[in-house]
Amino acid sequence: MLRYIIKRVLEILPIIFVVSILSFLFIHFIPGDPARLVAGKDATLQDVQNVREELGLNDPIWKQYISYMGNLLQGNLGTSLKTGLPVSDMFSSRFMPSIYLTFFAMIWATIIGLLIGAISAVFKNKWPDYLGMVTAVSGISLPGFWLGLLLIQLFSVQLGMLPTGGSEGFKSYILPSLTLGAGIMSMIARFTRSSLLETLQTDYIRTGRAKGLKESVVIIQHALRNSLIPVVTIAGLQFGFLLGGSVVVETVFSFPGMGRLLIDSIAFRDYPVIQSALLLFAIEFIIVNLVVDILYSVLNPKIQIQS
Amino acid sequence: MLQRKGWKILLLVVFCAIFMVACSDDKKETNSSEGKGEKEPTTEKKEELVVAVNENFISMDPHNTGDTNSNSVQSAMLEGLLGFDDEGQIINVLAEDYSVSEDALVYTFKLHQGIKFHDGEDFNAEAVKVNFERIMKDKSLRLNSRGFSLIKKIETPSEYEIKITLKETYSPMLTRFGVAKIISPKSVKENPADIPKKPVGTGAYKFGEWVQGDHLTIERFDDYWGKGDRVKKITFKPVPESGSRVAMLKTGEAGVIYPVPSQNIAQVEGDKNIQVFKVPSTIAHYVSINTYKKPFNDPKVRQAFNYAVDKDAFIKVVNFGLGVPLDSIISSKTIYYKKQEAYAQNIEKAKQLLKEAGYPDGFETEIWGNTNSDTMKGMQFIQQQLKQIGVKVEIKSMEEGTLSDEIYGAQTPDDAKLQMWYVSWSSYASDVTNATKPLFHSESFPPNGANTAYYNNKEVDKWMDEANSISDKAKQEELYGKIQETVYKDAPWIFLGVDEIVYGVRSDVEGVVVEPTGGLDVKDANFK
Repeated sequence: MLRYIIKRVLEILPIIFVVSILSFLFIHFIPGDPARLVAGKDATLQDVQNVREELGLNDPIWKQYISYMGNLLQGNLGTSLKTGLPVSDMFSSRFMPSIYLTFFAMIWATIIGLLIGAISAVFKNKWPDYLGMVTAVSGISLPGFWLGLLLIQLFSVQLGMLPTGGSEGFKSYILPSLTLGAGIMSMIARFTRSSLLETLQTDYIRTGRAKGLKESVVIIQHALRNSLIPVVTIAGLQFGFLLGGSVVVETVFSFPGMGRLLIDSIAFRDYPVIQSALLLFAIEFIIVNLVVDILYSVLNPKIQIQS
Repeated sequence: MLQRKGWKILLLVVFCAIFMVACSDDKKETNSSEGKGEKEPTTEKKEELVVAVNENFISMDPHNTGDTNSNSVQSAMLEGLLGFDDEGQIINVLAEDYSVSEDALVYTFKLHQGIKFHDGEDFNAEAVKVNFERIMKDKSLRLNSRGFSLIKKIETPSEYEIKITLKETYSPMLTRFGVAKIISPKSVKENPADIPKKPVGTGAYKFGEWVQGDHLTIERFDDYWGKGDRVKKITFKPVPESGSRVAMLKTGEAGVIYPVPSQNIAQVEGDKNIQVFKVPSTIAHYVSINTYKKPFNDPKVRQAFNYAVDKDAFIKVVNFGLGVPLDSIISSKTIYYKKQEAYAQNIEKAKQLLKEAGYPDGFETEIWGNTNSDTMKGMQFIQQQLKQIGVKVEIKSMEEGTLSDEIYGAQTPDDAKLQMWYVSWSSYASDVTNATKPLFHSESFPPNGANTAYYNNKEVDKWMDEANSISDKAKQEELYGKIQETVYKDAPWIFLGVDEIVYGVRSDVEGVVVEPTGGLDVKDANFK
């Protein structure tokens, strides 16, 4: 297992290398001139040219890439074109809140989603199933910005129980994580239900029941466990996406996350920030995938980890 | 057995995650608990004012700031030799007095004595010199070097006197002296990397803490040289979502919000605890028309467009009724503004003018703009208005960077593909040069400037150059009067409207002002 993990971690390096080249090319080939955006709208041509020279944008692209990678290998993410601050400073106040928010959202969404999904499957086509699926469909259909504003209206404006936003203290994480997790919860509930229903039709479940196992043991230990593979897959994917930040939730709750930083930086063509954010997201995604793969083998020992 | 083990690992992972999160939050909570007390009305005087604004702060380096919100925070902490009053006009701040030579090349400032920076350093001519030299020499300060790059020499005849000589005349220089805030010479020399993060100035507030993307706090500086009573602590929070910002004002989580989104004004206006203020700005909306190319090279066509558009309807439909018609080439708050006789909507006259120009049945054209929803609405409005005189307008909205490439990529007027551009412009109310030269001088054709109308009038060029080379205010006023009259008649733009800025304040807060440039002035803010 350990050898497997080390191997997978080493595999990250070439992926990062490819991602870095692709994202570098991508941001340099989209139209838009950061020098002009930096110089301001009343800039003269001379102003713009000075800025371009200053920022090293006149160098050939391979040279810019090498200088970027050189800095990166020394742990230097560069300086933002827009703010003049080190990129690492801009990330540091946003990275951990994004991680916490994702964890909170995933934890409640997974627990509730599994519960609803399992209950719906067990009581297929009875009222708990309908109730569960109505909840799930609502969760996935409510747009995040609307749900968020609704929650603010209720819990902050009317009841005054929770802050409208920010990232100070546990309380301010409650509403954003509810909003962020709603869709995921629904997805997990639906996947759990259909996967569990499928498993319940299989021979070994019938065998289990035939040999007189308690129904709860059949469902929880045998059926649920075996239906978790697709659920883990989808949860892992969603987890990876959420780590990249959620522009909607961050905006509605004025939450200092990575999503809006990336969007703002793209609008400004803030190359160093975009580049580093994309790399960070790639790394996060790879790690999540690694965890998902390990979970597969935990859930189903038949899936062998090859080292 | 194996199965059980698997579940245990899963549980362990989940618990670890919960534990990690819970622990880290405990620490944060203690920090913020004092600020949250605001919700309950107390009889004691409140000590922290929360100001919610629409965007993140970009930088706290006063010599490298272009955005309004960063400027607002800085102006509570830092001061310049000159500054701006509520109307955006120039006043003395750290300078007791100043004079400009007749040839507009030499600026002499007499400085206030006995002022100290937040770090205890003395404010004097030498400190000013260190600041100005930083702006002149540090190439990374791209935004503010304009003007300062023209300085020939800086002399300090006495400890509290400074004399600056320019290589060539530059009339926005006084505004630049207001914009360039003075920071502690010690921070410039010893720790320049910290300037964008925590500046040290002479202002009423000193820097507290900045958690990027979350909040920025400033604290009252008790040894401030100026007068006045003010709240102990101000926390600025970027809250981009309009609805959330309004909710904060309603709950009292914020004492001030800026701006109040136009669609939410009605929602807060009835609230007893909230006051809503509207101030005219210098933000002018217009459509620039490429006067270099057919059919727009004929002034009659451009005038026809102006007669076809109902400006009051524009303000109502596009701007929620917030604004006034643009009745000159500059906003009414801009210095030397001279009201012109506005083009009142007159469809018959517009059709007649088009006919005289040789387009009795109209023609097809296109309008460019960014993807902002207000811009889209504005362009649709223009499209609908021009349809009345038979002109068919195609709307092309482009992402900002792409749009900028399309417009400034044209190296000569012949290359330009632009026909009409829906856009806005704002400059300091005290700086008429920047409100005119980049837009109407023939030197400012893209890519060298923002004269996207390719407006080319040698006489107007000459007047601008002359006004820029003198310091005589009466003469400047006369020249800018002529410029406004001539350009407005030539109609290189469809003149639309000037925005009003709206901000909301809780009734127990006083001393908050918004300047025409959009800068929020909170240095005298207090609870009643």
